[in-house]
Amino acid sequence: MEVNGTLIWYYNICKREVWLMSRNIVPDQHNENIDLGKFLHENSFSRKKKEISFGSVKFDVILDTKEKLVIGETKKSSRYEEASKWQMIFYLKTLRDAGIYAEGVMLYPEEKRRDEVLLDSSSLKMLNEMVNEINLIMEKEEPPKAQKCKYCKNCGYFEYCYA
Amino acid sequence: MKKDIYIFNGGRLVRKDNTLLFESVEGKKYIPVNNIESIYIFGEVDINKSLLEFLCTNEIVLHFYNYYEYYVGSFYPRECLNSGFVTLRQSEFYIDYVKRLFIAKQFINGSAKNIIQVLRYYNSRNADLSQEIEEILQTLELLNSQETIEQLMAIEGNIREKYYKCFNKIISDKAFTYTSRSKRPPKDKINSLISFGNSILYTIVLSQIYQTNLDPRIGYLHSTNNRRFSLNLDLAEIFKPIIVDRSIFSVINKKIITSKDFNKDLGGIILKDEGRMKFVKELNDKLETTIKHPSLENKVSYKRLIRLEAYKLQKHITEGEVYEPFIARW
Repeated sequence: MEVNGTLIWYYNICKREVWLMSRNIVPDQHNENIDLGKFLHENSFSRKKKEISFGSVKFDVILDTKEKLVIGETKKSSRYEEASKWQMIFYLKTLRDAGIYAEGVMLYPEEKRRDEVLLDSSSLKMLNEMVNEINLIMEKEEPPKAQKCKYCKNCGYFEYCYA
Repeated sequence: MKKDIYIFNGGRLVRKDNTLLFESVEGKKYIPVNNIESIYIFGEVDINKSLLEFLCTNEIVLHFYNYYEYYVGSFYPRECLNSGFVTLRQSEFYIDYVKRLFIAKQFINGSAKNIIQVLRYYNSRNADLSQEIEEILQTLELLNSQETIEQLMAIEGNIREKYYKCFNKIISDKAFTYTSRSKRPPKDKINSLISFGNSILYTIVLSQIYQTNLDPRIGYLHSTNNRRFSLNLDLAEIFKPIIVDRSIFSVINKKIITSKDFNKDLGGIILKDEGRMKFVKELNDKLETTIKHPSLENKVSYKRLIRLEAYKLQKHITEGEVYEPFIARW
């Protein structure tokens, strides 16, 4: 499995999740947080273009401004700020590899908040390290053991991990 | 938690716009589709392909029973959770006899220990069952040294026979005397309730397995090759004593179900429609009852416990986390 934006996101939340996802062991689909996320995704920014595929990545929205290209990613809350930021950096890098220079913006419609994200040399270096580590996790026979963290409580894997 | 719908009347179940509609002589009843996990059909119900397609997109499992309470089959929609990795591991644990035997033993272990919990409860109340509990514990000790699935099955049969005989001490109503286990058709009222309850539990477990990556066709105690689904039968073993049997004691001892709820038919005894409804209600109440889960630190329903059990088994085969069956604490 090739590293994609979703895996970058999971990596920054929970390494175990990366392994599970890579085996297509998906979280409980009826978990209320997942339901809400799907709903928000389907119902926000309905007037703009959305879900633009580019290679292995998918952007939620492209916001056209006169002087530059800005891609946007919608999230239901800024609770996963770090993870979302890295996902965006991964997108920006994918675009840059194809010769497209873009900037990113994180959109939190519920909080009426937007954060700009840029690709620079230090973030690029960290991103490459992440990709390597993700590949190492996926190659393992078994997933990393569950470790309780602040994200566990609302996670769709919660019951799976701690049953 | 999504709900299960039980249909006892005859009629027509159709897709109506974006929800479900049940039409019968008693009128029209809309059923909101978002909140359903499975539908159980006992009555003579007409359905069509557009309904099946709709149920498929909504990942709802449909279970059919015939007039004689027998399980007819399920509409098990295209798997929504696919993981080739899990399927391969599941097969590996079946083919490797040592691995298979371990899982099968755990199922019997869980089943017997839950049987003992049920007996202990009644032993502390109105029935003297200490002798039987002792005997079952002794039989269970033989479990670990067994080397074939057939031997395990024999031990399980032995425990169950001793256990069912205890029903006569737990149930005071002499109209519900148990003599021996009889199926297809059940020869007495107790057997009728056991068969009916177990067959519902099998489908409830099947619906829970549908929500995991496990393939219900690969079971470990019940062999895989001579029936369509078998993993649900395996997992059901653990829950029969605490869900089905406790519901049986409850409906009889509280006189919710009496002799009037049964029909003599085809050389057997079967529940009438109204009796089925009452029993299903009791089962459902039981399934929705919540208990505090030791490791989740949350309240979970008995129905959810079945799902968690499937998760545990899945982790046993994919992560080497040793599977320990759920044992009721009272």
